[in-house]
Amino acid sequence: MWKRIRWGWDKAIAYAILVAIAAPFLAMYVGFFLRAFGKGMTLGIVPKEFGLSNFRFLWEPIAWGLGKTTMWAALGNTLAFAITSGLVVTGVCMLAGYALSRIDFKGKNLFLALQLFLHAVPGQVLLIAIFFLLFYIKLLHKIPGVALARASLEIPLGIWMAKGFFDGIPWDIERSAMIDGCTRFQIWFRIFLPLVRPGIAAVFIWGFLFAWHDFIYVYTLLPGTTKLMSTLIQSLLATEVIDYGYLAALSLIYMIPPLSLFVLLQRALLKVPVFGGKGV
Amino acid sequence: MRVTLYQLSKYFGPVKAVDGLDLEIAEGEFMALLGPSGCGKTTTLLTIAGFYQPTAGEVRFDDRVVNDLPPRKRKIGMVFQSYALYPHMRVLDNIAFPLKVQKVPRRKWEERARKVAALLEIDDLLDRLPGQLSGGQQQRVALARALVKEPDLLLLDEPLSNLDAKLRISMRAELKRLQKDLKITTIFVTHDQIEAMTMADRIALLESGRLQQVGAPEELYNFPGNIFVAGFIGTPPMNFLEARLKGNELVGEGFRLPLPKGTHLPSTPPPLVKIGVRPEDLVIGEGDVEGEVYVVEPLGRDVLVTLKVGPTMLKALAPPELPLKAGQQVKLDLAGGRLHLFDAETGQSLLRGNDAN
Repeated sequence: MWKRIRWGWDKAIAYAILVAIAAPFLAMYVGFFLRAFGKGMTLGIVPKEFGLSNFRFLWEPIAWGLGKTTMWAALGNTLAFAITSGLVVTGVCMLAGYALSRIDFKGKNLFLALQLFLHAVPGQVLLIAIFFLLFYIKLLHKIPGVALARASLEIPLGIWMAKGFFDGIPWDIERSAMIDGCTRFQIWFRIFLPLVRPGIAAVFIWGFLFAWHDFIYVYTLLPGTTKLMSTLIQSLLATEVIDYGYLAALSLIYMIPPLSLFVLLQRALLKVPVFGGKGV
Repeated sequence: MRVTLYQLSKYFGPVKAVDGLDLEIAEGEFMALLGPSGCGKTTTLLTIAGFYQPTAGEVRFDDRVVNDLPPRKRKIGMVFQSYALYPHMRVLDNIAFPLKVQKVPRRKWEERARKVAALLEIDDLLDRLPGQLSGGQQQRVALARALVKEPDLLLLDEPLSNLDAKLRISMRAELKRLQKDLKITTIFVTHDQIEAMTMADRIALLESGRLQQVGAPEELYNFPGNIFVAGFIGTPPMNFLEARLKGNELVGEGFRLPLPKGTHLPSTPPPLVKIGVRPEDLVIGEGDVEGEVYVVEPLGRDVLVTLKVGPTMLKALAPPELPLKAGQQVKLDLAGGRLHLFDAETGQSLLRGNDAN
């Protein structure tokens, strides 16, 4: 009897600690959803009634300052930006990862070490240089150009990820394909790419997500008239009267694409080997 | 196709994986590269396939030096120890893959793949994925893929070592038969001397990157050229006894024997020699060497007896009806069986008839 009560106390304390840690986050999420679907808040987070009026940006244009845009335009821009970045990251990393996994060349280890170093460099440090670079190659203020710059930040670690997946394929498979008449490129395309599909998904998400969430690059390198979701939300914060319900609803829409990508591809993501683990 | 290895060497940094290997494999021959792990046999095979470039020497296909020819242009088929099937393709696509890479039209590749599959009795598995097959079935698929392009040379890397014992014995016979029917020059690597003995026309025995002896299985068994070959071929392995040469006699601890027939001593005979005698040649019950029975292990058809002669342990195969007990003193006949004699220092055979090697 005493033992059971004692054991219950143990559990209670453990749960109390966990709840204490989780509570602020839970409150934030609850408040976020209540705001998005609520109208006329009292006591900070208790809505008077529920409705979808906060989602009016789905059918109405959004005004910011003197300008005007629609949520759909911003969402389309963001998708174009993130997908371009994801595709660039995937293409480069899949080629580089194969080469670094399978082909011996001078300076290979130095190159790999350098990638880690590059990953450690914060992206903001490069902003000015990238600004001029894009200016001279006439890609400044263009979504594909900025997406290219954004992709370059995620390529270093993406290369390591891709290499990890290729490392997991046995050498015998590669040799077998060579015997069967394949060139290196044919091996990569016909044998390896189908075998590292989880890796392709993971690397694509890697490039996609960071671009999707990016603010600094988009804010600095794109003109103010080209709104992405992140800069749109920021510009609504900069007005005199802030409609928090409206912002929460907008943010909810902003969350949906990355969340659904995670759900769709979570099995692939669980297999990510970053430093040379087995991928397949 | 005839394959010639001329002074073939492959070094990995300071490690001499293959060192000055000379070997000729005749058209249609079934050649085994045999040796313990790390002897250089797989390196040799991978060099013949073109995955490694020789450090020195040449690989020739017929009369053409192919050192710089990439694997895909060598017209070879290869079966890997792990089978290396493409996991994402059906069996049919796996088998037909070499033809598809060559852009053979669909009707033709399908016909040829089905024919090879029928030959190897896997035509009912064509729609499955490799992951759904047993080890034996995977091996047949790998073999079919190697054969579908009608290669000039077939390479097999430890082809039987991933199969269970029973399947291995039946595949041994089947592979041998298949090779004889198709008459494709075949080189296979194995560490299992029974596999090499049973399947190959000739065996090349390697150790530490060097060729020890090459010849028909019976030749290696009956006339081993040095101590390594003598000890590697045959199960249970050959017994060795140390002895000194005194005139026409071999004197060791606990025995004294006349020199065997065919002994071919150099002008300055070595002071120490090693006598080799196979367990199946040792006769218990008669003779003039004294020994003590140490362990008796019945094998069914024979009894494996461990005997102590002086400080040396010897293994002998005896008929099961012989009443033997541990601790018993017995007479042994060494000289009556076929003796092998080696220079204790160099390990070279001192018997005539081995000069050819």
